[in-house]
Amino acid sequence: MLSIKNLRASIHGKEILKGINLEVKAGEVHAIMGPNGSGKSTLASVLAGKEGYDVTSGEVIYKGKNLFDYSPEDRAREGIFLAFQYPVEIPGVSTTNFLKTAINEKRKYLGQQPLSSVDFLKMLKAKAKFVELDTEMTSRAVNVGFSGGEKKRNEIFQLAMMNPDLSILDETDSGLDIDALRIVAEGVNKLKTKDNAFVIITHYQRLLNYIVPDYVHVLSDGQIVTSGGKELALKLEELGYDWVEDLADAK
Amino acid sequence: MGDKCGAHTFPYFDISNSTATVEHEATTSKISEEIMFYCKSRGISQEDAVALIVNGYAKEVLNQLPMEFAVEAQKLLAISLEGSVG
Ligand SMILES: Nc1ncnc2c1ncn2[C@@H]1O[C@H](COP(=O)(O)OP(=O)(O)OP(=O)(O)O)[C@@H](O)[C@H]1O
Ligand SMILES: [Mg+2]
Repeated sequence: MLSIKNLRASIHGKEILKGINLEVKAGEVHAIMGPNGSGKSTLASVLAGKEGYDVTSGEVIYKGKNLFDYSPEDRAREGIFLAFQYPVEIPGVSTTNFLKTAINEKRKYLGQQPLSSVDFLKMLKAKAKFVELDTEMTSRAVNVGFSGGEKKRNEIFQLAMMNPDLSILDETDSGLDIDALRIVAEGVNKLKTKDNAFVIITHYQRLLNYIVPDYVHVLSDGQIVTSGGKELALKLEELGYDWVEDLADAK
Repeated sequence: MGDKCGAHTFPYFDISNSTATVEHEATTSKISEEIMFYCKSRGISQEDAVALIVNGYAKEVLNQLPMEFAVEAQKLLAISLEGSVG
């Protein structure tokens, strides 16, 4: 589904991603861990199409096509979803209205009829229940005045509504209490199919107790310095990142 | 003008004119790059994002108006948005 080859990207002339290689197939869950500032969010932003980054070399193939040929909004319509590390507040726009616009733009792009209000509301209720989100929240302006944990849960709610093929979760577990963590993890587990894929950026192995990844990658100084199975997350928890940084230096 | 009279005098402005200012303000300064990218990352185009946000912003203002003005202003706003946003 996603194939990243030797991706290098910089911002304001500073190179952040220094040759990333990553293969994500349908049905897989990949975890990306790594110290602060190693480039995890940058990778997520470059994939989602945030402006301001220069891709200096390498390629990203998504569903057989060059990802960089798509605008950010077309990437979303093609099934890429980024759950933000820092979800943005949109004053005056209710989550309901926001998602209705998003879903119908995607449908239009795919040549489908817009969803009727009745069908949309049915889906909204079902998905809200699914992530145990009070539907009252969906009538409030997107993320405005939400607590940190509520914002993260709203990201997962949006994910469930958009039904993406490739979901990238950027530290969705940070700032969540135990219940919310469980809900997010259960949400991902229920949304997981053999046809979609998840890339989960996290600092905590505890999330990976709930969402068992097929692969764990460690990003350090803009490179994936080591990859392994779920046991790698345990090793990181135990030993920290020092030994990983040694690996990076060696590269 | 003091703080107090601001809200009260608003209904007497030429609404059709101030709509343009609302829109202008919202497109140029109120919609940050962060918000725009967030909308795009959900598949919402720039035009639709602007329409959503301008409408939302205007509704918040209109909700503070007395009923008879609000109804009138809402109509005008709908007309002006129809014309300006695809
Ligand atoms: N606009 C910018 N200008 C200059 N440097 C930037 C900019 N944005 C990000 N960086 C730098 O890029 C590096 C990678 O940042 P990034 O946010 O990708 O890290 P991260 O791995 O997500 O860290 P964290 O675990 O803290 O979320 C950091 O050193 C950061 O300071
Ligand atoms: Mg980050």
